[in-house]
Amino acid sequence: MKFDKFFELAKKAGIEEAEVSFSNSYSLSFSLFHGEIDSYSTSNSFGFYARGIYKGKMGSISSDVYNNKMAQFFVDKIIENASVVENDDPVFIFKGSKNYRKINTFNRQLATIPVEKKIDLAREVESKLRVADPRIIEVATVAYDESSSSLTIINTHGLKLSQRSNYFVYYAAAVAKENEQTKTGSEMFLDNDFDKFVPNELVAEVVKETVSQLGGHPCDSSTYKAVLGPAVVSALMNAYVSSAIAEDVQKNSSLFVGKLGQKVASSKVTIEDLPINKTVFSKSFDDEGVATYNKAIIKNGNLETYLYNLTTAAKDGVESTGNGVTSGSKVYTAPTYLKMKPGRKSQEELFKEIGDGVYITEVSGLHAGLNSRTGNFSLQSTGFLIKGGKIDHPLDIITVSGNLVSLFSSISSVGNDSKEFISGTSCPSVIVKKLVVSGK
Amino acid sequence: MISKQLAIDVLNKMLETGADYSEIFYEDSIGNAITIENGKVSTSSTGITSGVGLRILKENQCVYGYTSDLTRKGLMSLADSLNKSFNGKQVFKVNHLDMIKCKNRNPIKKSYRSLTQGEKIALIREGTDAIEQLKDPRIVRYIGNFGSNYRFVAIYNSKGKWFKRETEFARLAYSVVVADENGMETGFEGPGCQDDISYFKEKVQPKESALKAVNTALLMLSAKECPSGKMPVVIGNGWGGVLFHEACGHPLEASAVSRGLSCFAGKEGEMIASPIVTAVDDSTIPNAWGSIDIDDEGNLGTKRVLIKDGKLVNFMIDDFNGRRMGKEGNGSCRRQNYKYCPTSRMSNTYIDNGKTNPEDIIKATKLGLYAVSFNGGSVDPTTGEFNFGCSEAYIIRDGKITEPVKGATLIGKGEEILKKIDMVGNDLALAQGMCGAASGSIRTNVGQPTIRISEILVGGRGGELK
Repeated sequence: MKFDKFFELAKKAGIEEAEVSFSNSYSLSFSLFHGEIDSYSTSNSFGFYARGIYKGKMGSISSDVYNNKMAQFFVDKIIENASVVENDDPVFIFKGSKNYRKINTFNRQLATIPVEKKIDLAREVESKLRVADPRIIEVATVAYDESSSSLTIINTHGLKLSQRSNYFVYYAAAVAKENEQTKTGSEMFLDNDFDKFVPNELVAEVVKETVSQLGGHPCDSSTYKAVLGPAVVSALMNAYVSSAIAEDVQKNSSLFVGKLGQKVASSKVTIEDLPINKTVFSKSFDDEGVATYNKAIIKNGNLETYLYNLTTAAKDGVESTGNGVTSGSKVYTAPTYLKMKPGRKSQEELFKEIGDGVYITEVSGLHAGLNSRTGNFSLQSTGFLIKGGKIDHPLDIITVSGNLVSLFSSISSVGNDSKEFISGTSCPSVIVKKLVVSGK
Repeated sequence: MISKQLAIDVLNKMLETGADYSEIFYEDSIGNAITIENGKVSTSSTGITSGVGLRILKENQCVYGYTSDLTRKGLMSLADSLNKSFNGKQVFKVNHLDMIKCKNRNPIKKSYRSLTQGEKIALIREGTDAIEQLKDPRIVRYIGNFGSNYRFVAIYNSKGKWFKRETEFARLAYSVVVADENGMETGFEGPGCQDDISYFKEKVQPKESALKAVNTALLMLSAKECPSGKMPVVIGNGWGGVLFHEACGHPLEASAVSRGLSCFAGKEGEMIASPIVTAVDDSTIPNAWGSIDIDDEGNLGTKRVLIKDGKLVNFMIDDFNGRRMGKEGNGSCRRQNYKYCPTSRMSNTYIDNGKTNPEDIIKATKLGLYAVSFNGGSVDPTTGEFNFGCSEAYIIRDGKITEPVKGATLIGKGEEILKKIDMVGNDLALAQGMCGAASGSIRTNVGQPTIRISEILVGGRGGELK
């Protein structure tokens, strides 16, 4: 697609530097209920995003449609938006990094697999799930989502970058019931290599997650030694690492103000941002066109770096870390793929290590019960009571509370059971010395 | 908009393989958001959402597709690819389209599109200037944001009906971060409406909203950690309604009920709540944040009593999910935009007024928690297990509101909690939120008068309540 008209009009109107990002996306999704497809959806969509610097300030416009007739309107809106900006933050249309790493996030094979086969595998999951355990009374859904998209950035400095990616997700959810107690459980599988999907493994995971919660009751409200499962570590790590965003540090509203080079977690904790990786989350450039690279954010407990975009990097006199994310006229900052380095111990060894305590497998209500600025959290949770180093019984209706700073500082062991999550993280289980649990 | 003839052709293309319903959802929306941070305008941006969603139904199957290619070729090709999901013969054809007329309950005098950026900035500044004038060193960051949107929607369906709907809505939000030697806290206040800018001058005051966000944050700075365990909880009016929204609203949506995946499925006519509880979903409140004149499949917005004196009497139903329930849609079909297949959703959902004065509810509580405001929550509609996090709370001792506490999360099961509501106040108020579910993020009001729950589990770090 050509945007010459837009660039020409932008220049004529006095926009000093301009940039267009555009995307083309294809999606396919369907879900099964009682063996039948109850929803099927497909789309081809286009996204246009343009920004420009006018009298030293940034303005932007986004649209689902672009044509030359609209180009003048888009230019006018960029100027209208830029004209009201008052703050003096430096703004950039980027000239380009020296090198961009080659990554492979597009698997050609995915689009060639017939939809019928994708549906057949979903049916297989559904039928196997239905008979896997007598306590499973319903398969709430088996769903498939596939997405393929390309993103291109072009700007007035001659920069032109493109990336293509695709992935698919199988998701299954079941309902189990025993003695008037109902529990739900779900799992998903994400990749772009269709051959890696094994229906039986997804079925086994959903069954385990669903029926293992049956027969639960609350534990006493108290402080426990705890093993936090990979999903819990992932949720809490995402929130904790957001403290490394430079803008919040510069504006004195982060837990990591003044902590660069200092201890922010136990020495067992190493968390890396790995945009160059072999997963579908990989990317070679960020939304500003800056080349990405792998780096430790927290190494052996020490805060190694803040996360920067071009604006916040200029303010601190450093280079961008390639973590810029545009939204509207603003460039935010976010990690790309967070990985907590696994340890050597198996989950069983972690249970033995705590002896008596709790094993927390899931936390929910993060948007309401976790404040990443203050680090405080109080979250609805599921898990198990651990007695004598072994799982004793499931826990029903409990919350766990704490503060991210003290929690990450008290991690005494890290497991080897890393799991990857759809949020773009990979985490193992960990042991924390103290966790406040509310139950009975 | 697309021409009537093109609409008829696309509807018929979708019906070619034996579907019993087809629908075109056309959308053309524009929004602008301006942010003032620490006293200076930091960003202004504009976004256009424009495209078409096509939906085909056959018995209990739904096929959906969307595109931003609005040409005849683009639409016909999408319709053709979607109808491949079925392999029957065409049962009927659409020959004409009649317009459905509905009352505009959300009229506005002046469009946001006619406002200058300066007028919007002046509105935000009424609040941010008030924060600045406090000159309180504990305020480290304050942000004011005004987002205004114009949305045009036209829907055509194989029942031979079409209609168009224009809506404008806006939200003015203030968020602050405060810090002292005890740590950091945040505060938020964000009133919104489907009304023009006069709402933000006459019905709510920007200054009051901004200062409320500051005061809540400062109060929490000095607050102790909330005690934990089971205790009586008085839940304040307005935002407190998020409890009902999570614990009961979502499980009463047909998307869960029709598949037997709701804890309230099959319980119509049964007492599911305490007899003093009446709950309503009303999309007809003039100019309210969650109101709709007509829903996304052409059913008129209605006031639906969901629970009457404790008895379950109705659900929020869309036509498609209604098929499994043997019921017609009742004006609950909604979606964020054309990229989402619509389903049953809430609008303005609240527990109705009771008879007790709110002060008397506090007076009647010897020891418990008074939860005034919330960050939001979530629910599993199948098990009814919900959680919601408090942003402002106090301990009640001997019938009096005493020290503030922070970090409280309330959790429970909807079925159990509704039966434990033992007092309902007479001070109903609504509060504006965004609700995320299968058909995207939509505007909803939550609401309730002050109520008391005789016992609910509170999660916090402050030890036992004494």
